[in-house]
Amino acid sequence: MSKLRLPLFITRHVLFALLIGGFAGIGFVLFLTEFDHITSTETFCTTCHSMELVAEPYRQSSHYRPASGVQASCGDCHVSEGVFAATWDHFIGGKDLFNQLFGADYDDPVINALHLPDAAFAAREWFKQRDSATCKRCHVKEAIYGTRPDTVLIHTEDAKEKSCIECHYNLVHRAVPDKAVFKRDKWNRMIEEEFGLSPGEADKLLGGD
Amino acid sequence: MLTEQSLGRSGHWTLFAFLFLFVLIPPAVAEKVKLDPSNWGLEEGKECVSCHKKSSAALTHEWQNSAHAEAGVNCLDCHLADQVDNDAIEHEGAIIATIVSPKDCGRCHVKEFKETEGSVHAKALSMIKNRLPALADNLSGKEMVAAGCAQCHGSEVVVRGDGTLTPETWPNTGIGRINPDGSLGSCSACHGRHSFSKAQARDPSACTWCHTGSDSPDDEVYASSKHGMLYEANRSKMNLDSDQWVLGKDYSAAPTCVTCHMGTTPGVKGSHDVGMRDAWSLNRPVSEQQYLVIFDDGDRRELPDSQPAPRRGSELSKLDGSMGKVKAVASPKRRRQIMTKVCLECHGKNFVNSYMKQFDNLVKLYNDKFGKPAQAIMSALYEKQLLTPAPFDEPIEFSFWRLWHDEGTAARHGAAMMSPNYASWEGMHKVAQNFYGEFLPQLRQLAGEETANELIEMHVTSQDQHSWLNNPGKPNPILGYGIGKESHE
Repeated sequence: MSKLRLPLFITRHVLFALLIGGFAGIGFVLFLTEFDHITSTETFCTTCHSMELVAEPYRQSSHYRPASGVQASCGDCHVSEGVFAATWDHFIGGKDLFNQLFGADYDDPVINALHLPDAAFAAREWFKQRDSATCKRCHVKEAIYGTRPDTVLIHTEDAKEKSCIECHYNLVHRAVPDKAVFKRDKWNRMIEEEFGLSPGEADKLLGGD
Repeated sequence: MLTEQSLGRSGHWTLFAFLFLFVLIPPAVAEKVKLDPSNWGLEEGKECVSCHKKSSAALTHEWQNSAHAEAGVNCLDCHLADQVDNDAIEHEGAIIATIVSPKDCGRCHVKEFKETEGSVHAKALSMIKNRLPALADNLSGKEMVAAGCAQCHGSEVVVRGDGTLTPETWPNTGIGRINPDGSLGSCSACHGRHSFSKAQARDPSACTWCHTGSDSPDDEVYASSKHGMLYEANRSKMNLDSDQWVLGKDYSAAPTCVTCHMGTTPGVKGSHDVGMRDAWSLNRPVSEQQYLVIFDDGDRRELPDSQPAPRRGSELSKLDGSMGKVKAVASPKRRRQIMTKVCLECHGKNFVNSYMKQFDNLVKLYNDKFGKPAQAIMSALYEKQLLTPAPFDEPIEFSFWRLWHDEGTAARHGAAMMSPNYASWEGMHKVAQNFYGEFLPQLRQLAGEETANELIEMHVTSQDQHSWLNNPGKPNPILGYGIGKESHE
């Protein structure tokens, strides 16, 4: 009968430390998974009023109430898959919390609308860099049949090399033009008109940050 | 017709106008683009079709069968925009604009762009700006402008800060549209989008889009004229698809709107300036013959013959309010001569001149008998404060408006384009019905017997043409007077 022989340096203390460390590690990963999960929900995101403002158009969009009933929540699109990537995204996203606390008053609908284009450009860039990875969690290009015969052909022939975000933007949140054609001046005038501000006030509000 | 005096004033410009209209303007409507083909066929634009033949097959099909496709002009050649353009949008990696403005078309069709730019068509919106508050805002409502007025006259297209075109101003294909790039007009008002068929624009139905109905019954006038009748019967012989379309060479069966107002005839160059050959203003309370003033930047405006002709090189205000330098002036007589030349392809000189005389006589009859008196009476009523300054809050204002804007226009257009029915029953008869049966009774009711009589005597019954009113005893059996009584047989 052979006897289980541990190396000599595995003392009882080391064994305990390993066990505790192991469980702590598992616990930590479980914690991160849960943390990522909770912090990706609409309920969590909209605890900041500024996020409530961007959630309003989302609730009118097809991603909130699709025919299939498969609802995409904030994190489904804006947080990467996988516990480490998701944690990293949340870590980077921490700057939003910092800005919420110490930056401009994003809870003010006017300030929010004025900053929205920059947020949209950043988000689009994020999607591009990841080859629309979060879209592909649910959508498979080859499986997009649509309601017309051309939909499948367009996706399999013309959009073969393209990433979702290249064509599909302005789907969920308030429409913002592409960065290439965006005109800050015209955007500011539109927001001023929308909120009944005097001309030039938007620029002051932006500059005052 | 012009008086000797006015001819003297404008006479020495006539030669210049002649030079301008016949020599300086390059030849032929729908002339071939002379640019090198390297100016179009953008590489990035060749891929658009692959997707669009699936997503918008009908539109793509129209383009595929067009002269544009044949020449290698693709989607991006027309829709290309610059990043800084007001209405530039990103679409599948390309910077494009939804609206293809005349300026865009003018990248290749230089001549047509320049001709339309200064024409009455391009100014269709600015010309009615002072009518809109009364007609659109008061009588109907702002919502109507987008669906009605602006569809013919054009909208001032507004691009929102998010790049979208406002539904109040777009979609719009009005011929006086003010485009986001500042250019005026819309080529697709006459040339259907994407097919851009010459045949379609040569067909009178292209004009029917706007020139129909009570205020501009040109479609009805033409259809009920000998010309329209011949067109209907001979449409297959009209050679509408022909590359070049010269009257007497490529077709002869009937003239269309294009033939007389824009078309090429031996000795007459075609032009996209559609109002160039119109000697009269026919859509005013009182018609006047008009100079065509051509500015040195190519812009144009009309001036009534009753005013002195502007001198070449002098400064004159343009329709948009800015000042311009006068380059040439075409007198009404000159404009009439050009129109007449078209007629002479089919008719004898005497026939044409006498017909023009009949037309002029009817316009003068309308002016003298109804237009001027009614206008003078209205002016007096406002002056005496018997009417409020606000338009259309008193019945007589509607009567006067209808008299010149609808019935008077029908009569004058009917005579201009030889529809006896429109000249008479739909035109002058209704003018008279209104004038004697509504306008004058409303005047009596409004102003009281004494003032009304004074005004009627001053402006109406003192004229020979109305003197029958002074003779109420003169019988006529048309309404039953004396029927059955032998003495009146």
